Amino acid sequence: MQITSYNGSALVAMLGKNCFAIASDRRLGVNFQTIATDYQRIFQIHDKLFIGLSGLGTDVQTLFQRLKFRHKLYQLREERNMRPETFASLVSSMLYEKRFGPYFCEPIIAGLGEDNAPFICTTDLIGAKQFSSDFVVSGTASESLYGACESMYKPDLEPEDLFEVISQALLSSVDRDCISGWGGIVYVVTPDQIITKTLKGRMD
Amino acid sequence: MECLFGIQGDKFTIIVADTSQVQSIVVQKTEEDKIMLLDSHKLLGTIGENGDRVQFSEYIQKNILLYQFRNGIPLSTAAAANFTCGELAHALRKNPYYVNMMIAGYDPEEGPSLYYLDYIATLHKVKSGALGYGAYFVLSLMDKYYSKNMSLDAALDLVDKCIAELKTRLMGAPPNFVIKIVDENGARELAWRKTVEDINGPRPTPATPIEVKSPPRHISFRSPSPSSKERKGKGRQK
Amino acid sequence: MSRRYDSRTTIFSPEGRLYQVEYAMEAISNAGAAIGVLAKDGVVLAAEKRVISKLLATSKSTEKMYKIDDHVACAVAGIMADANILINTARLQAQRYTLAYQEPMPVEQLVQSLCDTKQGYTQFGGLRPFGVSFLFAGYDKKFGFQLYMSDPSGNYGGRKAGAIGANNQAAQSMLKADYKEDITREEAVNLALKVLSKTMDSTSLSAEKLELAELSLTPEGEVKYRVTTPENLNKLLVKLGITQVVVEEQ
Repeated sequence: MQITSYNGSALVAMLGKNCFAIASDRRLGVNFQTIATDYQRIFQIHDKLFIGLSGLGTDVQTLFQRLKFRHKLYQLREERNMRPETFASLVSSMLYEKRFGPYFCEPIIAGLGEDNAPFICTTDLIGAKQFSSDFVVSGTASESLYGACESMYKPDLEPEDLFEVISQALLSSVDRDCISGWGGIVYVVTPDQIITKTLKGRMD
Repeated sequence: MECLFGIQGDKFTIIVADTSQVQSIVVQKTEEDKIMLLDSHKLLGTIGENGDRVQFSEYIQKNILLYQFRNGIPLSTAAAANFTCGELAHALRKNPYYVNMMIAGYDPEEGPSLYYLDYIATLHKVKSGALGYGAYFVLSLMDKYYSKNMSLDAALDLVDKCIAELKTRLMGAPPNFVIKIVDENGARELAWRKTVEDINGPRPTPATPIEVKSPPRHISFRSPSPSSKERKGKGRQK
Repeated sequence: MSRRYDSRTTIFSPEGRLYQVEYAMEAISNAGAAIGVLAKDGVVLAAEKRVISKLLATSKSTEKMYKIDDHVACAVAGIMADANILINTARLQAQRYTLAYQEPMPVEQLVQSLCDTKQGYTQFGGLRPFGVSFLFAGYDKKFGFQLYMSDPSGNYGGRKAGAIGANNQAAQSMLKADYKEDITREEAVNLALKVLSKTMDSTSLSAEKLELAELSLTPEGEVKYRVTTPENLNKLLVKLGITQVVVEEQ
């Protein structure tokens, strides 16, 4: 089986009105065998920055741990948190460092930047950044996710509506992908709070 | 066809591993202990490539002990699991260890814990898990019969169900299994489930007693060597 | 006579002393003082600021207090340039531990690790030692709140209260006299500020010349490192009678 679909994953992030939402599935598998249904793919870097990592599980963990290392040092030296745009560049350069032996991960970066302007971006496994003003997707269910998001997405959604849209898009897409799914988790981030919700979908 | 599985119960965790050492089509040994005690309250069960398995698990064990000697405090189970995962991940793109493992431990505050760690360094904390070909059968049994905070008897019952299933349905199923437990009293061997006794079991006594003139310099598994003249005619001792 | 044993760190003198290390400590005793007090619910660090100028436009919030990791902070006395290097090293060591074990580094291990680095500069390489002393304040699950003092030789010791920098002998004796077991964080703040004000050279003290930081636990169990703002520090100093309130005549 292809290395990027060894563990199975589905990730999506969307921009709303002064907020963003990022969601992932919860399955950890080894080829077609399911190992766990509570795997974490979305990680919080700081209050207003999240990163979701799809792809090979071991690289997801290694990459997140290394990013946490780098961000912590930045935070200690600069005495402030990294802006999402800067963080995206950091992710991109870390991935490109391994250009000829890459991490098999496709990250999604979502955060609130200067003046709490929401920001989302994705990169490929060797660090090519792609900014977006509506939504970004990643993982084995990405084709389905593109279709679902394209049809369901509307700009400037309020947090509650954004949550509905992103959940529906995620659940419908993972149902068509046998190696992702087993529930979902959604983070909706506004300048004042982080709302975390778990989704119960088809558990198969 | 190796099997390794673990169950986290109420205030304990058990790990079960098969005990056959196989090389190609030959079963070299049926009592190979694949679950290592990392320290007083941690277990590391490993299956996989023969040399890597022992080398890597001993390497981890010695490093865990070194930390304890250097710093006067033991590592927590989570820290030990993450350290092991880091070592695997580091070696993955250079010279990978083909070893799958389950790490179990008991911490005073956390209680019991169980970690799944496969050979490409995917680490995940689980309540029940399985590795190897046996996993295909054991995981579904776990899904059906596992419940949170199982008692030791219930867990052992589940283990026996799993072993029975493996013996019925897994081709080349291993005959013997070892069960080890870790709880607040420490990590220790709990039981064996044997179907086959190792035929090279206790050392055979030699047919005629031979006087040994000097103390043996090393332990040999052959009977004390007679003079070369006698050895030529004797053939294999059984 | 012993001048010929001064120049290299890598040799002992006939009396068995390492002169470069001692000269480093001499350099620190001319620098701004710092005091640390261990309380049962936290650790307090107070320091004297030496670099005060209207023309100063600093980006850092503090001159002598630095956060090493979420659960460890330090106060510095000595050559600031050397301190920056060591603080960077300490931060890297703490993050490397977290990278390997996914847990915060135990405070003593961090101090030990940094002191091993400092010791290297007293034994090989022919480089001079770092002219910095540290007061490390930290918290970990195993041993709770801790305070450590370290010097250029690479020695460190766990302390209930300690002082480094100018007049540290006087400060230590004052701390010895006034320190009580089971001191609370508030009492520790008062003690640190009182002792610091007595040992500082300047006649009038104000919040501009001091820094105060506290390490404590939030109700949720997370470690909080907080530097007192100048306004709050001024209020504290007035309350303790260290600063006279300037009464404006209308």
